[in-house]
Amino acid sequence: MRALLLALLLALAAPAVALAPAYAPVRPGVALIFPMDHGAHSAFRTEWWYVTGLLKTADGKDLGFQVTFFRSRTAADPANPSRFNPDQILFAHAALSDPAIGHLLHGQRIARQGFGLAHASTTDTDLVIDDWRLKRGANGVFSARAAGADFRLDLDLAPQQNVLLQGDHGYSRKGPNPAQASQYYSLPHLAVSGSVVRGGKRVAVTGEAWLDREWFSSLLDPTAVGWDWVGLNLDDGGTLMAFMIRDKAGKPIWNGGAIRSASGALTTLGKDDVAWGRARTWRSPRTQAAYPVERVVSVRSGGQWRRWTLRPLFDDQELDSRAAGGPVYWEGAVRTEGGRGYLELTGYAGPLKL
Amino acid sequence: MSAIPALSVSGLRKSVPGGRLLFDGLALTVRPGEIVAIMGESGVGKSTLLNLIAGLDVADAGEIKIDGGDLSAMSDDQRTILRRDCIGFVFQAFHILPHLTLAQNAALPVLLSGGGEAQGLSRARALLAAVGLEGRAGSYPSELSGGEMQRVAIARALIHRPALILADEPTGNLDPESAEKVLTLFAQQTRDARAAAVIVTHSDRVAAVADRSLVLTAQGLILRGQ
Amino acid sequence: MVLGEWRAHPARVILAAAAIAIGVALGFAVYLVNRSALETFAKAIDTVSGTADLQVHSVTAAGFDEGLYPTLAQIPGVAAASPVVELNAHTAAGASLTVLGLDVLRAAAVTPGLVGQGAHSFDAQAAYLSQTAMTALSAKAGSPVTLTAAGHSAVFTVAGSLPGAGEDQAIVVIDIADAQWRFGLLGRLQRVDLKFGADTSTQAVQAAITRALPPDAQIVTQRQESHRSDALSRAYRVNLEMLAMVALMTGGFLVYSGQSLSVARRRPQFALLRVLGLSQRRLILQIVIEGAAVGLAGGIIGVAAGTGLATLALALFGGDLGGGYFQGARPHLAFAPGAGLVFLLLGLIAALAGALWPALQAARSRPAVALKNADLGIDPRRKPPLVAALVLLMIGGALAFAPPIGGLPLLGYGSMAAILAGGIALMPALARAILGPARRLAGDAPATRLAFDRLYGAPGQAAVALCGIVASVSLMAAMGIMVASFRGSVDDWLGQILPADLYMRLPDLEAGGFDPAAQDRLAHAPGVAAIEFRKVLKLRLAPDQPPAALNVVPIDPTAPQRALPLISAVSPLPAGETAVWASEPMARLYHLNPGQAVTVPLGGQPRRLYVRGIWRDYARQFGALAIGDTDYVHLTGDRFRSQVAVTLAPGADPLRTVAALRAVVPPDIVADMTFTESKSLRAMALKIFDRSFAVTYALEAIAIGIGLAGVAATFSAQTLARTREFGMLRHVGALKRQIVAMLALEGALLGAVGALAGLSLGAVLGQILIQVINPQSFNWSMDTRWPMGLLLSLFGVLVAASAGTAVLSGSRALSSSTIRAVREDW
Repeated sequence: MRALLLALLLALAAPAVALAPAYAPVRPGVALIFPMDHGAHSAFRTEWWYVTGLLKTADGKDLGFQVTFFRSRTAADPANPSRFNPDQILFAHAALSDPAIGHLLHGQRIARQGFGLAHASTTDTDLVIDDWRLKRGANGVFSARAAGADFRLDLDLAPQQNVLLQGDHGYSRKGPNPAQASQYYSLPHLAVSGSVVRGGKRVAVTGEAWLDREWFSSLLDPTAVGWDWVGLNLDDGGTLMAFMIRDKAGKPIWNGGAIRSASGALTTLGKDDVAWGRARTWRSPRTQAAYPVERVVSVRSGGQWRRWTLRPLFDDQELDSRAAGGPVYWEGAVRTEGGRGYLELTGYAGPLKL
Repeated sequence: MSAIPALSVSGLRKSVPGGRLLFDGLALTVRPGEIVAIMGESGVGKSTLLNLIAGLDVADAGEIKIDGGDLSAMSDDQRTILRRDCIGFVFQAFHILPHLTLAQNAALPVLLSGGGEAQGLSRARALLAAVGLEGRAGSYPSELSGGEMQRVAIARALIHRPALILADEPTGNLDPESAEKVLTLFAQQTRDARAAAVIVTHSDRVAAVADRSLVLTAQGLILRGQ
Repeated sequence: MVLGEWRAHPARVILAAAAIAIGVALGFAVYLVNRSALETFAKAIDTVSGTADLQVHSVTAAGFDEGLYPTLAQIPGVAAASPVVELNAHTAAGASLTVLGLDVLRAAAVTPGLVGQGAHSFDAQAAYLSQTAMTALSAKAGSPVTLTAAGHSAVFTVAGSLPGAGEDQAIVVIDIADAQWRFGLLGRLQRVDLKFGADTSTQAVQAAITRALPPDAQIVTQRQESHRSDALSRAYRVNLEMLAMVALMTGGFLVYSGQSLSVARRRPQFALLRVLGLSQRRLILQIVIEGAAVGLAGGIIGVAAGTGLATLALALFGGDLGGGYFQGARPHLAFAPGAGLVFLLLGLIAALAGALWPALQAARSRPAVALKNADLGIDPRRKPPLVAALVLLMIGGALAFAPPIGGLPLLGYGSMAAILAGGIALMPALARAILGPARRLAGDAPATRLAFDRLYGAPGQAAVALCGIVASVSLMAAMGIMVASFRGSVDDWLGQILPADLYMRLPDLEAGGFDPAAQDRLAHAPGVAAIEFRKVLKLRLAPDQPPAALNVVPIDPTAPQRALPLISAVSPLPAGETAVWASEPMARLYHLNPGQAVTVPLGGQPRRLYVRGIWRDYARQFGALAIGDTDYVHLTGDRFRSQVAVTLAPGADPLRTVAALRAVVPPDIVADMTFTESKSLRAMALKIFDRSFAVTYALEAIAIGIGLAGVAATFSAQTLARTREFGMLRHVGALKRQIVAMLALEGALLGAVGALAGLSLGAVLGQILIQVINPQSFNWSMDTRWPMGLLLSLFGVLVAASAGTAVLSGSRALSSSTIRAVREDW
């Protein structure tokens, strides 16, 4: 579950007059069918394609990257036949974590769907917002293209493993109310090749990434202030995803996750199977928010607790999107014993309001 | 020769606005063809006397008759008409109008009395010739010297055959040579026209052409040299 | 010496300075008002177009196909493209607004000033209002507003404000999809605002854009927008600048009068100075400096007064001084020190020119002569100057045929100035030419003859006294003739274009309107004897011109003059061509002649139309084409009409017919319909006409007043200077009343000569206004009318005023001291 920028989208979509459109609800027991479900689910209120990963440049430097496309269905009247009908809004966000720079480079695009300038295919992953793109090719390889004012990403992401259906065959609960849930699947261990342009210089990169796919119409419990999420590609080919929905006191409202071995054995983690500990806190000099950037994640699988200590690629991976009406959060590349991945920490600079 | 004097003044009294008496019981008679010079110190009332005679000012008492007409009995308009018909003027500063030809200037009195223009102009030409400006009737004053202007003025003073000519320092603005010529001309023309003339002047030369020279004093007019 | 002279004759100095001040003030105020209006207009354009680098605008209000938007957005070098639906809307209360339908996500990148503040949503009812719109609608956040545009009404909720829109424009921003849907404009856009990448070649991108444009869209840059708004008010400005010129020239001539008189009076004084060793150059310099001081004082007062006047005018009338050209924007004063200096200099130059001539004359006179006689320098032998006058007149005549410069009739004005100066220089000669024969007819009364002789002998003095008033009278007469001709032609034209009894229209409607079924119902409504359906479309044919109009009218090809007030021969229509008729401004602006073809975008395609003739049109200064109804339907298939002309059946009651027509109109548009009887339409048009010239009339009256005051001041000075003459005349037997009569007659004669000269000059100048200035600046012609009432009253006022002043000042000069004035006193 990610994507805090979504707050902006949700605000945009909030109807001024109580005129709730009929958003499709997430239900358990819906079988996902591919490649159809790689595409957009426009009846649901919110959907994302969330790619995170670590890269190594040709000259051996580590980089983290994130490319996300959001789709949001607004309260616009579906009866309006105008091709400008703002029924579907697309938003994309990309960030590059470079320890040599010490903070995030990021960029974004937003547009209402239409005219081929902004588009989300409903049959397979094929997303366009102006010059940004995320597309799944016939060979199953995703290609991602995104650019900010000072960087550009041009990456191919080749799946090495099967789709990982999160929760109950893709039905992932986020709170005590069964309606607080999403359709959720991941594609971990994507082999990355491509190039990154920084400071006007193109450099070839390779690496490993993770694609998260989620769609839903209602999500958070009213008492929630934020969440912690981590996705790790383990060096042995295994995969870990864990999340926690926190309340004001920092206590979990809901936990969840999955752990899958290289051989494909999947353990779905329930509410009591995940525990988060704090190893080190970093205080943002800009927002004074204290983020637990070093995290200890413990998960119980097969009756045994396993622990991973997450260490950030560098501390300042805070993203302040308040200027664009979004939240302040931390999202960064992390390393751990025998693996690497992305950690997302929200609601630490103030309760996250969706 | 007419039996009536051209000018007869008797018992004339005049005070200046401040109250000072200029003269009282003043008497003067001028016959046609006679030229009288009136001299006297400045401020004694020479010009006032001239204005009284011209009907331009009103006396406190006394009688002024011009060609038999009694001024004191007349209204301003009647006095003006009397001036127009019976008096000619010659001024120290000529007072020739710059926008009129010499003939038009000389013919002004005829014009004012409603006389025919052609008649006035032809007489003006004759008179101009007589004062030595023959052939220059169509000229304009800006071409003239001071002496010539005064000759035009003399022609203007005579054109309507007045009984009386009044002159106030007629040579005051002229050089001695011009003055001499103008005086001679003035005397000759006046006598030829059988007009009477009263000249107010400081100049002995002017007085010399007069038949009589009187001096105005606080006691009245006294024959010069007495 | 100067101060002494001014103390002695303050009225003359004050009048001259006042006239200069009025000229400068008027000119500067008009300049300031216009500049302020233009700046506001430019700002308004900035607001509406945001910071767009370039706009693609539709040629007609119907817009272009929205498919152009992605095409433009994908042109390399275009960093962002923001599609816009732009509509003129009005509220039920009649307030008019600009409605912009935007995609807020796109506008944020191109025109951030148009992104509203407040709760954001894609809710169909959300509207963001500029402050002016809030005020106009008395709306606040949350209140509902009903907007009517393109024949549709829709209700919106005020969701927030447009702080970036400035204070001057009534703008409502709604979502683009709703704008298309709810105002019946699906698939159409009026604008796409574009932003270029930082490192792209503007020219190359623009070229690529141009290649992509369909015929019904065109590129508009901000510079072109400002040019168009300049064109909007230009013609109106021309009239006001003309008035400023009147005042300035009157002022210059009053300085001339004043300086001439004072120079004449001081001839002996100057002569003395010359004898004592003052050089000719120093003398000229001194007199010119005196004039310059008057000009400077007038100029400074004028610039200050002009600023005040402009402020007042902007507050009272708005940026077009009541002309109605800038709608919706209320400008703030933009001060312009540089221009202020220029206008001050103009005042100075007028005064210097006025002082130079007398200065040269004073310097020319021979000191010895001048010392001896105080004749005011009158020498009747001197021939009135003829050559200079004729040369000036010839220059003026030649300039009248010169083409405009930069679209402005500058040389036309030059021609008027030269003819005016020449005409005034001709005055003395004219006076003699008139007075010579007149004197022989005038009779032998002494006063008459004296008066004639005086004027005949000293015509230069007459010119000195009259030049100011001749200048103002002639220019006023010219204006009067022009305005009367204009008004008369407009009146005639209204009669020609409004032959029906009743007119009915839908406002701001290009799409939609009365469909054929509605037209049929209307035609069969009781009381209707004949009915015509029309439509007016806006056409943007050139990027730097305001939009022209396309009138769709039923035209009988064999009798076009029944539908249009034609002013040209009709060119026969070649086979296969479609006829179009150009209005006079259209023909001038786009250089069209009968027999030429013009390409016009119609129904999204360029169409070749053949100009058959030119018709008179005063309604649309920026040009209009008239196309026959059947031709239009043939080309576009559009059978909707928005204007209806109804001829009533004999005896039909207009009100009942209106009710009957109303009853058959579709209910959704009936509220928008306006009915007007042609009688009241005509009356209203003339009222608007008179209102826009009201300022003109008021200023004319002031200029005449100043001119008359100048005459009075000069006359009394001249009369006082003639005290000795009157004294001598009294001596030699002139009655007081004869002298008064002489003066009255002199005054009347002078007035008559002046009025005659002024009115004849006015007639000539009026023709230049009608034949040169107006066609060059307004692009329309008119038939000359002579406002005999005005001209005769000008004549009468001038004669009476001159005679009256002469008598008044004469009575003063005829006091008892007159008699003493003949004695030498210096």
